[in-house]
Amino acid sequence: MSSLIQVTGLNKFFGEKQALNNVDFEIEKGAPVALVGPNGAGKTTLFSVLCGYIQPSSGSVEIFGARPGSKATFGRLAALPQDAQLDPRFSIAHQLSFYGQLQGFNKKKSKFEVERTLDLVGLSDALNEKPDALSHGMRKRVTIAQALMGTPDIVMLDEATSGLDPLHAREVRQLVASLASEVTFILSSHDLNELERLCQQVLYLDKGILQRHKTLANDIDYSYFTLRMEKQESGLIEGLKSMKQVVDVVNSQDREYLISVQKNGGKTPLDIQILQMCHQQKWSYRQLINGKTLENQLF
Amino acid sequence: MLELHSFHRIWCLAKFELIRMFLTKRGGIAIAAFATAWLFIFYYAISTAQELVSSDIFVTIAYQIFSGASMRELLSWPVPELSVFWVVAVYSFPIFSLIAASDQTCADRSRGTLRFIALRATRSEILFGRFLGQVLILSVLIACTLIATVLMASYRDASLFFVGLIKSLDIFKSILIAVMPFIALMAFFNSFIRSARLAIIVSFLFFGLIPIGIAFIEYKLGMSIYLTYLIPGVQLSDVINQKNVFLSGYYIPLAQVCGYLLVGNIIMKRSSL
Repeated sequence: MSSLIQVTGLNKFFGEKQALNNVDFEIEKGAPVALVGPNGAGKTTLFSVLCGYIQPSSGSVEIFGARPGSKATFGRLAALPQDAQLDPRFSIAHQLSFYGQLQGFNKKKSKFEVERTLDLVGLSDALNEKPDALSHGMRKRVTIAQALMGTPDIVMLDEATSGLDPLHAREVRQLVASLASEVTFILSSHDLNELERLCQQVLYLDKGILQRHKTLANDIDYSYFTLRMEKQESGLIEGLKSMKQVVDVVNSQDREYLISVQKNGGKTPLDIQILQMCHQQKWSYRQLINGKTLENQLF
Repeated sequence: MLELHSFHRIWCLAKFELIRMFLTKRGGIAIAAFATAWLFIFYYAISTAQELVSSDIFVTIAYQIFSGASMRELLSWPVPELSVFWVVAVYSFPIFSLIAASDQTCADRSRGTLRFIALRATRSEILFGRFLGQVLILSVLIACTLIATVLMASYRDASLFFVGLIKSLDIFKSILIAVMPFIALMAFFNSFIRSARLAIIVSFLFFGLIPIGIAFIEYKLGMSIYLTYLIPGVQLSDVINQKNVFLSGYYIPLAQVCGYLLVGNIIMKRSSL
């Protein structure tokens, strides 16, 4: 399978500060990719390099085999850049239609694309509004709509759901999930639960270094269970440890337990045993997850 | 095929500039200010052109600006309204173009709007598209003021309409070529400045300090190094005096346009959005 994005030995300096340090990765067409890392890790810098907004100090970046920002990427690579705003003097429809025409659509097709994408983000009513008349969240959704115009192969969303209310954040997640078979999304977010739900691949950046590049879907570590409880239960750790297949139990965070298990243990599968124990003890559990959560994998 | 797409994108960007100027509130205010200024020029200068060109004051002032031969040429124009228009326009339009073209990419760059556009057009296309848009805006404004001048002259004497129209085509071309280096200079400043106001300030500093700097260098070297040809408008007095017609009327301004756009393009390609 040919790669959509290929990054080799990428470095980016801002003066003395090194924002990206010898980053290498490859992204192929497929399920959404998560770009995670703490503040200042270099996520937005990496997004900016991939979109062609800034030039790398050294290294090679290829999108569809071409240089970022070159004509070969127009209409195929779309993005929601962080903090970018539309022109306040023009209506949403006018600006999006202009972008459509730049992508090569005629007026009729542009108008259709504007209506279609605004409908996707639930903003059909805002067609003739100017950006200043919209809330922060609505403006964000409009900029997501511009990223979905046409038939892009890659859509990069930098902090797409930050600042959105839970309902619309959920709608954006559903939108990404529904389009994931046609478009390769690259998502940057601090919400690891969101990324875990949507993404199959994770790029973890820290201090400009790509710490981990892993695939989640085929990489469930069956030597772990993650148990989330309604409340902290005394005796839970001891109860779990008393099970034959359990090697160790760690209270990974409030009301969350990471259970290390031995493969091929007893007759009854361990997850069934755990649920039976919760039922017998009248402990309310919230979630039992196969493997580690993304958060526990990364930190 | 790719080139055709490039032209399409440049044309889209230029059209958007026209809409920004003529169909938005802020553009409307700028047009209103421009129209008001020209209303005064029409009322106090052009409407009385016939008397003005034969008045001692006008002749004295014009002789100070133009050479004797050009003055005789100017006074012999069949439409005196166009003589006065020429005197006013040849300096006022370049200054106006500095202000009108001060925000080619600045605001979009600082707001981040340029990032949406840069996913759909190359930086060169953005630079040339915005430049073309500003040239078209100035063309419309120059054409409107020229048409108004010809109509005023025709109102006084209907037989002047066709003569005035033909002469005005020549004036239109000369003024448009004269303003283009000023627009290109602002395109160059916009390739690295993030505020239109700062771009105007830098342009005034440029016109104030660069000639002093060049004069100093030439004084130190003891020879002319022709750096003054870097300054837009350096040829304007020759244009008015109809001296070195091809050099001053075409070669110098068009070379300045190419130079500023090329350097602006290099900086634009390397700059961060």
